[in-house]
Amino acid sequence: MKSRAAALALICAFAFPSVALAAAPAVSNSGGTTVIQQQDNAAPLVHVTFVVRAGLNRQTMAQNGVAALTAQTILRTAIDGVPLEDAVAAHGGGVHFTVDPSDVRFAVESTPAQASTVFDLFRRAVAAPAFDAKTVTSARGALQTQITMNQQIALQVGMDMLAGNDAASANAALPALGIPGALAQMGPADVRDFYAKFYRRGGSFVSGVGRLDALANGTLEALAQTLPAGDSTAVAVSLPKLEGTTHQYVTHRDIAAPWLIAQYPAPPIDSKDYGPMLVLSSFMQRTLSEIAQVPGVVSSTATSRAVGAMYQFDRTDPNLTLYVNGSIGNPNRAFATALSVASILAATKLNGPIDEFKALAAGDFVSESTSLESRAWLAVLFSQNGQSADYVGRTLNAIANTSNADLQRVARQYLGNPAIALVLPRDNSAQAQNP
Amino acid sequence: MKQRVLIALAALAIGLAPLGISAAADVPTSGSLPHGGNYVLYRDQTLPEAAIDVWFRAPGAGYDNGSPGIARIAATAAATSTLESGKSLYGIIRSSGGRLTINVYPDIIGISAIVPTTAGRRVIAAMSAAFFSPAIDDTALKTAQRDAAVLSVARRYSSDDLLHDALFAQIFTSGPNHYPPLPETVNEIRKISLADVKTYAKRAFRSANATMSLAGNVDPTWIEAVTAGAPGSADAPIKSTLANAPANTSITGNVAGIGIAWTGPPISDERAATALDFVADYLFRDETGKVAKSVAVESGNYVSGQFITLHDPGVMLVTIGGDKPAELKQIVLGAVSALSTPLDPKAFEAARAAFIYHLAVDTQNPIEQADNLGWYAAEGNASYAPSDPSSSYWQRANTLDPAYVASVVKQYLAHPVIIELTASPASKESAS
Repeated sequence: MKSRAAALALICAFAFPSVALAAAPAVSNSGGTTVIQQQDNAAPLVHVTFVVRAGLNRQTMAQNGVAALTAQTILRTAIDGVPLEDAVAAHGGGVHFTVDPSDVRFAVESTPAQASTVFDLFRRAVAAPAFDAKTVTSARGALQTQITMNQQIALQVGMDMLAGNDAASANAALPALGIPGALAQMGPADVRDFYAKFYRRGGSFVSGVGRLDALANGTLEALAQTLPAGDSTAVAVSLPKLEGTTHQYVTHRDIAAPWLIAQYPAPPIDSKDYGPMLVLSSFMQRTLSEIAQVPGVVSSTATSRAVGAMYQFDRTDPNLTLYVNGSIGNPNRAFATALSVASILAATKLNGPIDEFKALAAGDFVSESTSLESRAWLAVLFSQNGQSADYVGRTLNAIANTSNADLQRVARQYLGNPAIALVLPRDNSAQAQNP
Repeated sequence: MKQRVLIALAALAIGLAPLGISAAADVPTSGSLPHGGNYVLYRDQTLPEAAIDVWFRAPGAGYDNGSPGIARIAATAAATSTLESGKSLYGIIRSSGGRLTINVYPDIIGISAIVPTTAGRRVIAAMSAAFFSPAIDDTALKTAQRDAAVLSVARRYSSDDLLHDALFAQIFTSGPNHYPPLPETVNEIRKISLADVKTYAKRAFRSANATMSLAGNVDPTWIEAVTAGAPGSADAPIKSTLANAPANTSITGNVAGIGIAWTGPPISDERAATALDFVADYLFRDETGKVAKSVAVESGNYVSGQFITLHDPGVMLVTIGGDKPAELKQIVLGAVSALSTPLDPKAFEAARAAFIYHLAVDTQNPIEQADNLGWYAAEGNASYAPSDPSSSYWQRANTLDPAYVASVVKQYLAHPVIIELTASPASKESAS
């Protein structure tokens, strides 16, 4: 009796989906800056992402790291005697930055009660960074610590090596935070010049999510007006392309096990191939996980998490990356199988239903788009080039409209010859013998 | 349900504006499930996903504490058993693009699903059928045993897990907290019979013993999809017996580390429990904690610390790894001891603001919110859950002061229990 009732409830559930998806973000323009707002009354925080066209492709090859050093200098700028990041933390907030191939994006957030104070602190630091030697030196030290930490993350090391494989401009593929040697050569004048040249309003974004009602009226627009008007252009740096169809990059780090990473080019979000590539990526993720996992196990384990597929659609040069952490039993088998699956997908006609893969892709996307920071960034990404900022609606539609033929077309077009990175453990015994 | 909402609104009107929660903030609602049990629902219609949890009060090692692992095996078997629809709860969640997680603790069990909103109602119906009216067969039992065996083996290589289990076994002389959530050997898992699992599931997974916690883009009408269950009363939160004077000790395993624990206040002492959450955040939070920041990462060193809010008592637990554990232990003990002197008021104010911000950061996603609401309900103080912006937690956090925190540190963190985990020679050889 109870079971029958449960079955009836299931039928009803299929028949009457009762929840509407979220409204699209509100987008406006404020003197050259795009302002995006997603009010969320259930969010515990106010989050704002501020995007400036001052990323890696604004550096020359000799300036490797100046984009990050400038952003870190802003975080170290003293406001009322306290460095910005410390002042923000002391008021119940957080601030950090990410350097992308074309942008630097600052993520600032706070509790609703402290929002006005925190965002005012941030606005003041961005408007007038301190370019004195002490501040820049402090910023450089913070970057060097972060670089040291990143060097222990094998996947990050591998991805950094692969970034240059298909980059349109050589400078856009430089390490995001620079390298210690190059940073050591830079002083306050370099940072001041970079800021003066590239921290411009043109092409910038202010994207707010969460309890925006806690901000005073016009706060986001005021942030947008912080920088001087005008545009900046990228520094074009071309280097000869490597010959051959498949490239392999090998390096060594102090890690316990080797990492194997393969990268394929992938379509941007405004391509008709975006939806199919999301489905392919999710399919690859599940396949890899099942290869690595003990058959029939329900729980996520270290083994299933040691492999994966990532479609980085937010990069200037999007890619699909497959990785295997060699701490699992037989990484070569898992890696070889992953590459084989990619080849087979490209070569074999898909006849079966793909609904489950599409559901998987939709689930993966929505689960990765719920943090305030990811919501703010996705809205920026999707509203570029004047398109709708409705990242959820556009993505779910793209996935829903994917056919078997689309999948095969995209597999054939993109999953050809991967670039491969191997990050291997150092041979410490050999080093000890031959110091 | 209505009563709860009215109380929350009244609290907002009279006292929460200074805490940063204006009248515009949404708050959770709660009520009774159609056939016994309770729910709490925190709706955010701006999101595309729904988190759906069900939590039970049940002993991890069985009602006689004689079968470590039975709670996980029963929960996994219920989740993988075939329903009337021909699919299991696990299968339904997977095919809708979601994820299922089974969290088993010594005294409570949480089943957690995160799915696209469009699948939410279907998953609630399946979850209630799978757990409130479990039909576990031999196939599901074998799947669950295999799953538990893999987790049990993995646990042997986690110093955090080994130290957690060893410290709890040392602090508590009896009751669920004394026993590990999974047995040490696969043979013990195999010994758990289908009859035992069915008996356990029938008692533990009663709807009357359940709290469903829902967060994200969820619809209150989905509760109607709960068609299984029976009226009754929930089990009381389960207590464990404290040791009089637990001794320091050492154990051997596949990995090395040091664990330190202190027994703290019960969940009902909200002010003291919040103070120890503050201490854990101030000292041990990744990247920002005073101790965490002082640890050199190049050698793989780490210090992880948290206050585990339990029914009675809570436990402050710190685990240490890397190549200098003895040195780090002294840093930890020194830092904790130093907090028995009140912090400078200005430094305290900044640390409290950071603590409150971290609370909000850690409870911003639906899955975190549902887990948090379910945990606090199962441990016996639902109205204290930090995920609920109208809960008493925020008032406690906002009114902490340096002298009170120092007094709590003096009261609870003076006598640590320390366990050294040493890697066996065979493990060291294979590692090199």
